[in-house]
Order: sequence, then C-alpha cells, then structure tokens
Amino acid sequence: MATQPESSNTFFSSPSKETPIIKLEGITKSFPGVKALDNINLEIYRGTVHALLGENGAGKSTLVKILYGIYTPDKGQIYIDGKPVRIASPMDAIKLGIVMVSQSPVIIDRLTVEENIVLGLEKFNMFAPTRRVRSKIIEVSKTVGVKIDTTTEVWKLSYTQKQLVEIVRGLLLGARVLLLDEAITYLPLEEKSRFYKFIRQFANEGGTVIIITHKIPEAMDVADYITVLRRGKVVGTVPVKNTSIEEIRKMMFGEKSSEITYERLPPGNPGEVLLQIEDLWVKGDFGDYAVRGTSLKVRKGEVVGIAGVAGNGQKELIQAVMRLRHVDKGKIIFENVDITHKTTHFLRLNGVGYIPDLPAKYGVSIENTILENIAIVPTFSSEIINWKRIRALALKMIKEYEVKTPGPETPVKFLSGGNIMKVLVARELTAATKMLVAYNPTRALDEATAIKVRKIIKSKVINENIAALIASEDLDEIFQLSDTIVVMNSGKIVGVFPAEKAKREEVEHLMVM
Amino acid sequence: MLEAIIGLIAGMSSVFLAYYLAALGHAIVEKSGVLNLAIDGVFVLSVAVAYAQAVYTRNNLLISILTAMIVAAIFGMLLAFFVTKFPISHGATGLSMMFLGYGLASLVGLPARNIQGSIEGLEVGYTIDVHSPVWVIVYIAIILIGLGALFLINKTKIGAAIRAAGEDPAAAEALGVNVLMVRLFAGALGFALIGLGGAIFELSYVQVWSEGTGIGHGWLAFAVSLSAGRNPILLILSSSVFAGLVKYMTAIQAMYNIPQDLAKMLPFVAAILAMVIFMATPLRRRLAPPKSLGKIYFREEKERSEKYKKNCFVLDSSFFSEVDLS
Repeated sequence: MATQPESSNTFFSSPSKETPIIKLEGITKSFPGVKALDNINLEIYRGTVHALLGENGAGKSTLVKILYGIYTPDKGQIYIDGKPVRIASPMDAIKLGIVMVSQSPVIIDRLTVEENIVLGLEKFNMFAPTRRVRSKIIEVSKTVGVKIDTTTEVWKLSYTQKQLVEIVRGLLLGARVLLLDEAITYLPLEEKSRFYKFIRQFANEGGTVIIITHKIPEAMDVADYITVLRRGKVVGTVPVKNTSIEEIRKMMFGEKSSEITYERLPPGNPGEVLLQIEDLWVKGDFGDYAVRGTSLKVRKGEVVGIAGVAGNGQKELIQAVMRLRHVDKGKIIFENVDITHKTTHFLRLNGVGYIPDLPAKYGVSIENTILENIAIVPTFSSEIINWKRIRALALKMIKEYEVKTPGPETPVKFLSGGNIMKVLVARELTAATKMLVAYNPTRALDEATAIKVRKIIKSKVINENIAALIASEDLDEIFQLSDTIVVMNSGKIVGVFPAEKAKREEVEHLMVM
Repeated sequence: MLEAIIGLIAGMSSVFLAYYLAALGHAIVEKSGVLNLAIDGVFVLSVAVAYAQAVYTRNNLLISILTAMIVAAIFGMLLAFFVTKFPISHGATGLSMMFLGYGLASLVGLPARNIQGSIEGLEVGYTIDVHSPVWVIVYIAIILIGLGALFLINKTKIGAAIRAAGEDPAAAEALGVNVLMVRLFAGALGFALIGLGGAIFELSYVQVWSEGTGIGHGWLAFAVSLSAGRNPILLILSSSVFAGLVKYMTAIQAMYNIPQDLAKMLPFVAAILAMVIFMATPLRRRLAPPKSLGKIYFREEKERSEKYKKNCFVLDSSFFSEVDLS
C-alpha cells in the first residue's frame, strides 16, 4: 500500500507537509516540428487526486510519459519529495513508487494473472511457485474492492479487469503515485463509481493519484485539483470545489467552448433494411466464441449504436461484418446479397466505409503519406492511380477536417494521434456512400472535433440516406449519435432500444450485468 | 504377442529417451522466444563430444555425458546471448552455429576415433538390456522429467518469465523480467538437455562414431518438438512415435517391402501429419508457438532509444498499444 516517503534530505531543506510529492520545473519536450510541452511547471501534493485535463494533443500524454520514464525531457527538472531525480525508464519510475496504468494495459495475454504479477516482485525468487503470490494478490485486490481469479489467463479478462490487474500489480509494487492515463474514461458508470471509491481511499491513505483525461465530468467527479493543459502549456490549476464545468471548459477549449454539447443529434429517418445479420457466430483471437448468435438489422438512414464494455464481442462482430474475420455460423446480408463469404474488397467497391479500432495500426499505414493512404482504398482508385485526383481529394479532406499537417505528402507517422484519426475519418466518411461501419470513431479526438465528426456522420446519414453501424465504448457517443441503441454483453445482444426511449441507467446495467 | 510388443517397446527405450530429451530441450529454448536452428549442429557436436570423452576416459559414461551437456549448454547460452543482445536474425545465427557444430564435431571426433582404433577391445557406450528392468526405469524417468518440466514451465516464476520472454519480450521487460538472463537460463538448460539427448543417442544407441554421425537427428528432435506444440507431456507421445519409426525403420522396410529412401522419409511425413492435424483442430490455439518466437528483440541503449522515440513521437498510447517505446 501507499507508504510514507522517508524525509532524509533535511540537510538542505526541511520537507514539511507542504513539499509537493512531485514538482515539475520548466519541463520542455519537442518532437520534430512540434513543441509537445513548453515550460511546464506543476506541483502535485501527497494525498490528493490531481486531474490533468486537456484536448488530445494538449501534451498530457507526453507529460505522464515523462513522469513514467518513457520519454526524457529536453529541458527541465523533476523533483520527487523535493529531491531532483532522473527517470530514465519505467523501472526507475517504479522504484520511486510511480506506477502507470494506461489505456492499453501492458500485460501478457497468455500468462495468468498471478504469473503477470509475480514477474515484477523481487521478493519471490526465480524458482518460487507462482501460486505463492496468490494470497497477496487477493489481499490487495480486496482493498481495491474487486475479486480476481488469479489463475485465469489474462486474455479471458475484460478490459476493466485487465486494468484492475495493473492497479493491483502497482499496489503490490509499492506504488505511492498512480498515473491513470485515460484508464477509466471508457468504463461504464457502475465500474467507474467503484473505481472512484478506490481512488479516494488510496488518496486518503496518503497516496497520490494523477488522472489524465479529456472528459471534464470525469475530472470533476473524482479530482481535488484540475490542471488544464492546452497546446503544451499549463493554462492553470484550480481546486475542484472552487470551479465550474463552464470555467474548465473555457480553459480547455478557449473560444471553441460553446461548440461542445452532448445533446442528442437530430434523428435519422430509417428506411429499408440495408444490412442484416442472422445468428452470427464468430471466434475471438483465442479460439473461443466472441460473438454468440447475434442477429441485427441496420436500415438506410439509421445509426445503430452498439454499446458495450470493451471485449464483449463488438470488435469481432464489426470485423466479421467487414469480412476481416471468419464467420463460423450465420449469415450477413448486405443489399440483399449474402456477403458472408465475400471479401472486404467487395464491400469497399460497394460503398462501405470502415473506421477500425486502433486506427494507427489497422486503419492507416503510418509509414506512408496521406496521399498514399487515400489512394490505397479501392473506392478511390483502381489499379492505376490518378494522383492528381487523389491530391485534390486529399486537400479537400485536410481542409474540411482541419487536419494539422505540412501537406498531403507528409508521412502519416509525423501527425499527432488526433490528426491521424482525422485523416482516417475523412477518408472513410468520403468512402461511405452506402454504409459506415466503425469502432470508436472518435476515440482520441478532442471534444470539439469529436462532436464535429459525430455531426458529420449524422448529417451524412440523414442527407445521403446511408446506414451506419457504430460500436463505441463511449456511452456519450452512443447516446448522441444513435437512432437505435443495441447493448452487447458476452457476445450476445442483451437489449435493443429506440434512442428516444433508451435510459442511460438501463443501458449501463445491461452492459455490466 | 504381448511379449513381442513389450520387446519392441523395451528395444526403443534408448532412442526414445534421446529424442525426448533433445526435443524437450528444444521446446524450452523456443518457449523463451529464441528460434533454435542450431539444434542439429549442436546435437551432432554432443554426439562427437560424448564419443570422444568416452574414448579418452575409457568409457566413463558420467563424465562423457556431462561434458557433452556442458559443451551444448555453452552453445545455447551463446545463441541466446547473440539474438537477445544484438538486433541480428535468429535464423542466420542459428544456422551459422549449426555449421560450426558440424565442423567442431569432426574436429573432436576424428582424433578420438584414431585412438579407439589403436586400443584393442575399447568399446564405448552402454546397451540397455531388454531383459533387465532398466528400460522400465527409462520410461519412468521420461514421465518424471516430463512432469518436472511441466511444473517448471507452467508453475514457477522462472517458467512464467520464460514464457513472457517468448510472448512479448518488451512487455516482459516492462513487467520486471530480465529478458537476457531468462533467455540465457533457458538456452543453457534447453541445450544441456539437447546435449544429454545427443550423448545418450551416441552412447546407448549408435555406440560407434564416424564423420556425420547424428546428422539429421537434431532436425528430427526439432520436428518432434514442433509436432507436440512444445508441450512436455505431448512430447512423450510424439517422441515415442518418432523413436519407433527410426528404430524399426529397417524392419518396417522389410516387412512391407518399401524402398529405403521412402522409409527414411516416414518420420518426416509423420511430423508434417502431426502438425497438419493440430493446425486443423482447436489444438492450434492451445499449442500456438510463442508470439515473439524468432522475432528480433533489441533493448536499445539510451542514445538509440532516444532516436527511436523521436522517430515515432506521435505514437499516442491510445493508438499504439502494440508499439513499445521502453
């Protein structure tokens, strides 16, 4: 658990209660062409929950990566308990008691929970049976308020459980500072509140929590202090009890803050059925069924939103529809054609756009330029590429979606995460003349852009009468965008609601049931 | 009839043990993510070393076997060291070491054979008498070794570390595993077993030596290991099949009147069949190879990693869960 740091450096200074556990002084970090962090000064105190809030690209991820030793700053100094330190690797950070839980857990899928955890614990010798760590894990997981079967292989766990494993591991490693990098953003409400309780308890016991998020309500719910970052600079730090959502919003978005809204977008006008899924069975990565007998209809002029906690078969369902995953049983019918055994190429030629999860891995080829990434889609070019046309198309997309790039010839890897997403979204929305299939279409976009993308999707659905099948881990998104909300849990559809009648609590309950 | 079958089983015990040990060693090496193409060379070298030591020590089996194991273990550690410490191809390194093994085997074996020729009545090795209970002990030993290996790989911290290094060395490192140390351990242990297999192959099965003795049998152990999905218990099954095919090849040939070259293919056909069978069934997932097997893993020094990080500065955690920067 959280241990009190020793105060040995009394010769030079007398660390009082007021010595910040983490102090950043003039932290600057540049990447080619962009200043990610510009002279960051920040103090974080023991026993508090501190939220770092900002749009994507504001520099908050870079900042925590510096704290965790993944990046080293170009300039500036980090102090822990008033002492200057150099954090060169995650192992250094762990030794200082800093543990990061990221959005994508770093654990090994084919190992069991206890095996993953025992690897880092030095008090167990190399030949120690792994089961010896079991009682310790159970003890610590009780303080977090979860039950973990330590002999389960990690791949069988849900996304949430994986993150809990990381937290339990952090606590067993003696964490006194927890860095949560968008770790709770996509959790459903029930799990979130359990998490909040744990975070509060951890802070009360003298631990420190730094939460990185782009969701204002999340920061307001759990933090004591909020520091807002914008374009690599600290806008300001405010105590939560003396602030309002409005104020934070202004700090975050500046002049754009009025554009942020979570209201439901205007409804579509569902017509004839375009996509029909009948009793679909699809296997996951580890050979067990991830989709178990799902049936679903998507009409023209309708957005069907699949709500669900990550890892409940949405990814596999989407991939099966896009013909990227083998269908073991069942049928997929698109425009009255059985596409169960057709190729993705076929769908592309028939006006289907696709935004995958982990877009930089599965959506674009990051080594190639924006132009090449557009030209590769069969919708836009055949065997011989008309570069002039592609270039015009690219420039239009860059302008329309405000992609920050030196030009269309820039390799995608030089763009920020949010801008890579914009390139992908622009390309796929242009390609989707009949249907859009997407998984977390606005993940990693800042709120203003995310809402803009949702509006574009919705207006395409309404005006061009296309169908959209969208799975998202962000319930705000599902509620804002959908005409029909489908809840998926353990590979099955457990609820279908017309959006105007859907109740948030009910959907959340079905998601985690 | 029963007696005949028992006789057959007893007769193949030494080959069985040799294949089993070599295949098990190979499995342990590969579990740690090191693609082992050096196996045949090292097997052949252990055969020669065991033979030479037996000649020099006037058939002191213990010393001969231990020497072969130590020599093989050194090779294993070298292989693990090279492919973990430097960004070089597992395949190229393994194959180079294979040829090195072949060469050294001749260098070690030939003088010993000249000496054996000059001493009258010096014979090396130990034949397992099918009428004594020794062969039963061999079978019990195989089962115990299998269970021990299963425990080591699946139930201990070092076992978890070996598998972690094979699945995702970068993540393993982040979790607190010293990938280099773990692979050195797996390399030493695995190759010691391969060396033991080679020594037993020579001393209790072939018992003579000429240039090239053992060539191909390392690859057979490789196939045995592959066709059992590197599982210590399934290995018992697959090595028994291979041992039977190798031991009784001549008999099978005579019995069914098949050409010799075709008969020699049989073990390999069996290997391919076994692999097809488990690839076509759900076993494929259970016995899948380690995810990072044979992939270059290079824990960058500070400067290099800085350069690397700069090149992919945009990689947000949300996008690049798979790209490792540590």
